[in-house]
Amino acid sequence: MKQTLVTGNEAAAWGARLARANYIPNFPITPQTECIETLARWSSDGELPGTFFDRMESEHSVMSAAVGAAAVGSRVFTATSSQGLLLMHEVLYIAAGMRLPIVMATISRGLSAPVTLWSDHNDFLDQRDSGWLMFHAENNQEVLDMVLQAYRIAEDPQVLLPAMVNMDGYVLSFTDEPINIPSPEQVAEFLPGYDPAHTIAKNRPVTVGPPVLDEYSIFRAQNHVASRNALAVIEELQDDFEKIFGRRYHLVDEFMLEDAELVLVTQGSMSTTAKAAILEMRDEGIKVGLLRLRVIRPWPNEAVAGALKDAKAIAVIDRNVAPGKGGIMFPEIIETLYNLDRRPLVSGFVVGLGGNPQTENKIKEITHKLEEDLAAGRPRMEWNDLEGI
Amino acid sequence: MQEFKSLKDIPEQDYFTGGSSACAGCGPSLGLKLALKVLGPETIIINSAGCMTLLPLYPNTPLKASWIHNAIENAASTAAGARHGLDVLGNGDMNVVVYAGDGATYDIGFASLSAAAAKNERIIYICYNNQSYGNTGFQWSTATPYGSETKTTPRGKENPTGNTAVNKDMLKIMGAHRVYAATASLAYPVDFLNKLGRAKERDGFSYIELLGACTAGWNYDPRLTIKISKLAVRCGMWPLYEIEHGMLNLNKDFSELKPVDEFLKMQGRYRALPPDGVERLQALINEHWAELKEYNKQRYV
Ligand SMILES: Cc1ncc(C[n+]2csc(CCOP(=O)(O)OP(=O)(O)O)c2C)c(N)n1
Ligand code: SF4
Ligand SMILES: [Mg+2]
Repeated sequence: MKQTLVTGNEAAAWGARLARANYIPNFPITPQTECIETLARWSSDGELPGTFFDRMESEHSVMSAAVGAAAVGSRVFTATSSQGLLLMHEVLYIAAGMRLPIVMATISRGLSAPVTLWSDHNDFLDQRDSGWLMFHAENNQEVLDMVLQAYRIAEDPQVLLPAMVNMDGYVLSFTDEPINIPSPEQVAEFLPGYDPAHTIAKNRPVTVGPPVLDEYSIFRAQNHVASRNALAVIEELQDDFEKIFGRRYHLVDEFMLEDAELVLVTQGSMSTTAKAAILEMRDEGIKVGLLRLRVIRPWPNEAVAGALKDAKAIAVIDRNVAPGKGGIMFPEIIETLYNLDRRPLVSGFVVGLGGNPQTENKIKEITHKLEEDLAAGRPRMEWNDLEGI
Repeated sequence: MQEFKSLKDIPEQDYFTGGSSACAGCGPSLGLKLALKVLGPETIIINSAGCMTLLPLYPNTPLKASWIHNAIENAASTAAGARHGLDVLGNGDMNVVVYAGDGATYDIGFASLSAAAAKNERIIYICYNNQSYGNTGFQWSTATPYGSETKTTPRGKENPTGNTAVNKDMLKIMGAHRVYAATASLAYPVDFLNKLGRAKERDGFSYIELLGACTAGWNYDPRLTIKISKLAVRCGMWPLYEIEHGMLNLNKDFSELKPVDEFLKMQGRYRALPPDGVERLQALINEHWAELKEYNKQRYV
C-alpha cells in the first residue's frame, strides 16, 4: 500500500477531509495550528466541497458553533489543545447532553501555569466526565483511522455522542510518519453520509436544550447507556474496517501480554517507546508486556481486566497528574481489577509532564522498580520526574 | 417585504401560544411573540441562558418554531454554526434568530456577538434588554441604567445611588461593526416589526435591541408594561433609532422630552433615588438625546 509522510496534525485533517465534514469551526492554539491551517489551505484551494471552514473568536465559540451546526444536521469537525480545550469545557457537556456526534481532534499539551507548549494528558483527561467518547491514538496512522472510526461510532443510532480523538502534541502533531491515506471511495464505503434522525428541519420544529424537571437523571442515564453502547459498536465495525482498509483495532492494545508477569499500562505515543524497551528487556529474559489504553470513555472494563488478570505486577504510567492524589488512570486500573479473584500488585508512576521525554531507559527503570515492588510485596505511587528537585 | 402601516396590518397568526412560565406582563415574552409573527415557524431561535430559557420546559413548549438553548455566552456563535450548517446542507431559507438577554449580550457573550457581527453572519440578533440579570433575580449588568437599584447594587448608607456606572452605548458599538443596528420598543410594535422585516431581507447581520420591560425586576404593576415602555421612549430613556452604514436615523423625534422623573416614579427600582441621582440621570439622557439630534441623518459611527 502506498505510504505518505504526514504529521499527526495532517493525519487528523485528512480524517476530516475524507469523512466529508460539512462544518469546521476553528481557533488556533499550539500545537493544533497545523491541523486547521491544512484544512484552511484545502478550503481555499476548493478541495473541501460541501464544507464551510469557519474562523471563530475563541474555542468556546468553536464548540458553540459546532453545537449549532450539528443541531441542524451537519457533520462537524474541529481540533484544539490545552487551554483551548479547557475553554470549551462548559460546552462539551452540552454537546454530549444534546447527543450531537461532533468529532474533535485534541492535540495534548500541558496546562498553565506555568506555561508549557509540550505534551501531557491533563487537558484531555480533564474532559473525562463530559459525556464524550474519548479515544487516544499511538501514532499518525491511528490518528487518521480513529477520526474515521470516531464518526461511525459517534453517529451510530445506539450511540449519538460526540467523540474526541487525542494525539500527543509535538511527538505526533509535528512529526512526519509514513501512513496510508485511504481513497475517498474506500472511506465513503466505510462511512456513508450523515443522515440524522433527530435534527431540526424546515417543516419540523424541534426544541434543543430545554430545561427539565424530574427527568434530569433519566437524560444523564441515557448519556451513560449510549456511551456504554459504543463498546459493542467499536468491536463490531472492525470487520468492515479491516475488509476495506486492511487494519483492525481493539478496545485495548495488547503487546506481549501472553506470558507477561510484569505489565506496563500506557497511553498515547510513549507506548511506542515502551514497546521498544520491552523488546530489549525481553532479550534480557524479563517477562514484561504492555497494555495501551486507547478507548478511555467508554471505559472497556472487561477488556482491561481480561488483559491484566494474569499479571503479577502492573505499573500504571500516567502522563498526567491529579495533584493531591496521583495519576488519573492509576485508580481507574485498580478499580477495574478490584473484584477479580486474584488481584495483581499495582504501582503508579507519574511521568512525562510538560513533554518531559519518556526514554527507553526511563521505561526500563520503571520496570525494575516494579520488579522490586513485586519482590517486596509493596506497591508504590511515585512521581518519576522529581529527580534533582 | 410589505411594510406594516398600522397595528391592523400585523398578522393575527401566533407562533407563541399559551403555557409559558414567564411572569404575567413580561415584556421580553411579548417581544418574542411579536417577533415570531414576522419570522414565522421556519425559524430557529437561538436563546442564551436567561428568563426566556424557561419558555420551553420539557416536554412542553409554547413555541411553534425551532429553539436551541446552548449556554449563556454563546448565542451568537451557536447561531453562526446553525446558519452555516443550514446553508451548507441547502436549507438557507430558514431564519436564524438570536433572542438573548442584555447580560448575555453586553457582558458575558459580547466576544461571540462582536465576532458574528464583524463576520457579517446572516443572523438576526435580538437583544431583549431588561437592564439586568433577570433570571438570577435582578442583578447588575452593564446595561443597567445609572441610578437603578438591583440586587447587587442595593441602595445603602454608603451608596444611596444604587448603580453608579453608566450603561454601555451598545447601539454605537454595534453600529461601529458596520452592521444594521436598531432600538425597538413594545409600545411601537409597527416600528419593531418593520425593522425586523427589513432585517429578515438583509444578506448579513442585524442587531435589534428591544427594551424588555420587566415587571418583576423593575417592580411595577404587570398591567403597565406597555405604558412604561412608551414612557421610556417619550422621556428619552429609550430613544428609537437605527444605524446603517454608520448613518444615524432617528425613528421617533420629539420636540420635547418628558421629564425622566415620570418614568422613574412608576418603578420600585428607582424608589429612593436621591434628587442628585435623578438630576445626573436626566443629564445623561439629555446628553444622549442631543447627540442623536445632532447626528440624525448623518454619519454617526
Ligand atoms: C456561565 C454562566 N454564568 C452564570 C449563569 C447564571 N445565569 C443564568 S441566567 C443569568 C442572567 C442572564 O441575564 P440576561 O442575559 O440579561 O437575561 P435575563 O435573565 O435578564 O433574561 C445568569 C447570570 C449561567 N447560566 N452561566
Ligand atoms: S423577571 Fe422580568 S424578564 Fe424575567 S420573566 Fe419576569 S418579567 Fe419577564
Ligand atoms: Mg437581562
